[in-house]
Amino acid sequence: MSARLPLRLLGPLALVLLAAPFATLIAVTDWHGFALSAGDWAAVGTSLGYTSVAMVAVIAMGTPLAWWLARHEFRGKAAAEALVLVALLTPPLALGILLASFTGPYSAVGGGLNRLGISLTNTAGAFVLAQVYGAMPYYVLAARGAFEGVPGDLERIALTLGKEPWQVFLTVTLPMARIGLAAALALAWVRALGEFGTALIIAYYPQGIPVKLWVNLQDQGLGAVYPLLWVFFAAALPLPLWLGMSARRVMRP
Amino acid sequence: MSAATVLPFLRPGTPPWPEDAPTSMPTMAIDYRLFRPVPVEARFAVRGLTVLLGLSGEGKTSLLEAIAGLLPADGTPFRGQPPQRRPIGYLPQGFALFPHLRAWENVAYPLPRGRERRDHASALLARVGMAEFAERFPSALSGGQQQRVALARALARGPELLLLDEPTSALDPATRDEVLVELAADLRRLRIPTLAVTHDPHVAGMADWVAVMAGHRIVQEGSPAEVFARPTSRAVARLVGVRNLLEGTARTVAGGWATVEVAGSTLRAPAPAWLATGAKVGVAIRSEDIALGHPVDRAGEVNAVPITIAEMRPDGLAVRVRGAEPMALDILLPRWAPAPPRLGQQTIALIRAAAVHLVRP
Repeated sequence: MSARLPLRLLGPLALVLLAAPFATLIAVTDWHGFALSAGDWAAVGTSLGYTSVAMVAVIAMGTPLAWWLARHEFRGKAAAEALVLVALLTPPLALGILLASFTGPYSAVGGGLNRLGISLTNTAGAFVLAQVYGAMPYYVLAARGAFEGVPGDLERIALTLGKEPWQVFLTVTLPMARIGLAAALALAWVRALGEFGTALIIAYYPQGIPVKLWVNLQDQGLGAVYPLLWVFFAAALPLPLWLGMSARRVMRP
Repeated sequence: MSAATVLPFLRPGTPPWPEDAPTSMPTMAIDYRLFRPVPVEARFAVRGLTVLLGLSGEGKTSLLEAIAGLLPADGTPFRGQPPQRRPIGYLPQGFALFPHLRAWENVAYPLPRGRERRDHASALLARVGMAEFAERFPSALSGGQQQRVALARALARGPELLLLDEPTSALDPATRDEVLVELAADLRRLRIPTLAVTHDPHVAGMADWVAVMAGHRIVQEGSPAEVFARPTSRAVARLVGVRNLLEGTARTVAGGWATVEVAGSTLRAPAPAWLATGAKVGVAIRSEDIALGHPVDRAGEVNAVPITIAEMRPDGLAVRVRGAEPMALDILLPRWAPAPPRLGQQTIALIRAAAVHLVRP
């Protein structure tokens, strides 16, 4: 009993800790004068639109990488794993500075892209790039875990049942990894939407919600932050919630 | 693919498997070598339901995976083909049913898309007596039921060879024998050569043909009666459940019979062709082939060896007795006897001469 008591208290304590800032938000929001600032809706559109584009890129590139890391042994695998971790570890602001040095107008790569008419500074491309860098490592780590959870036996038996490897991936690996993959996508989505540091450096424009929160704070003060934050929650939460629930509903025991 | 090519056994007029005609057994010659994860060299025949008997670690599972194309190996049949092109049906340990698919969807998995897919799957499930479980998920099936669904799924491809890895390992001990007898009967009816690997001599007893693996190679093959009755080496004798493996010296060899001196006693036994007078020889005797009692006067037919009862303990529904002095013998007796042996008693062990198997030392 005495050993259980701390456990009974710590769980609820964690919830209270997590809830505290948001309870505060309810209290400090000016509900009578609730109004968005100029440009807030544009920021919502920018965030949702470009994050969707970024998710396509993250899924298209991150899924093969995650599967590769989960199912294959190759020389340099440790280096590939370290690379994913370094991208995760780097403070977003520093990553933004590195990206600016890499793709900025005065770098070799940025200069070359500029001559092709492509700019990765303060453009839609830069915005998506910042989000891909913010979300991809999380997605790869989580998706790799999901693939590793699929018993290799089942993939091998599918081969002996006459399926080509790509058919096995589509009919066995993907369906069996779907809960984990949905969680990986949900994680990538919230990471990308909340991306601030990198975007601040290379994509101050077009303004997504996190940068617009900063702009609202600078230009108008705290009162202009809360309404946009409520809209941010309303816009960002449905997808990960839906992903979690639908993956569990379709995946039966 | 038409129904007839996918499901040959559903064709009307397919004769039932002739239980007593071994010459018409479906046969396939296996010749495989692999080096990793264990070096295995296996040349033997699969005739009807064939059991490959060997201890854990011999590489039996690796051999099955090699034949299925899942491990790099060299050999025939199917040399060089990727697993998806090999006409085999593989039932791994635990059966590897897809947990996210219902029973009928598991069976339909290898079938081509089309309107007849569901009907084919249902026919296959009915064939293994699982029609009423079509809508169940694997987690809601018993071990034996999962095995039947896995068999139906393996049959959907029309395999030329079935591979079973430890077919009894995931079965309920209470129903294991029943399930196994039914499975063996089904496999015979299917007329597909089947290779089952196991360390369980009990499974081998139900086979049409037995191959024994020791030291990563095949050391003996033959009918179960042959292999169980006449193991050619100590390793095979141990694998087929012989507990008494003694060492002796051949004293006389004549007319197909030999007398062998073992621990001061003389035993009469059938002489294998290679046996020479004076040779060291292994003596294998099943615990079940020894009785206790008074010597009977049937000269040469029954060996009588004086022993002292050193240990007695219940073993299932029988009593296991250890005799010592001068010959150490493991004896399995019925649990009831009119004159039960007592600990420390000096008595006579009776061993039928035909039940004494001489093996290479």
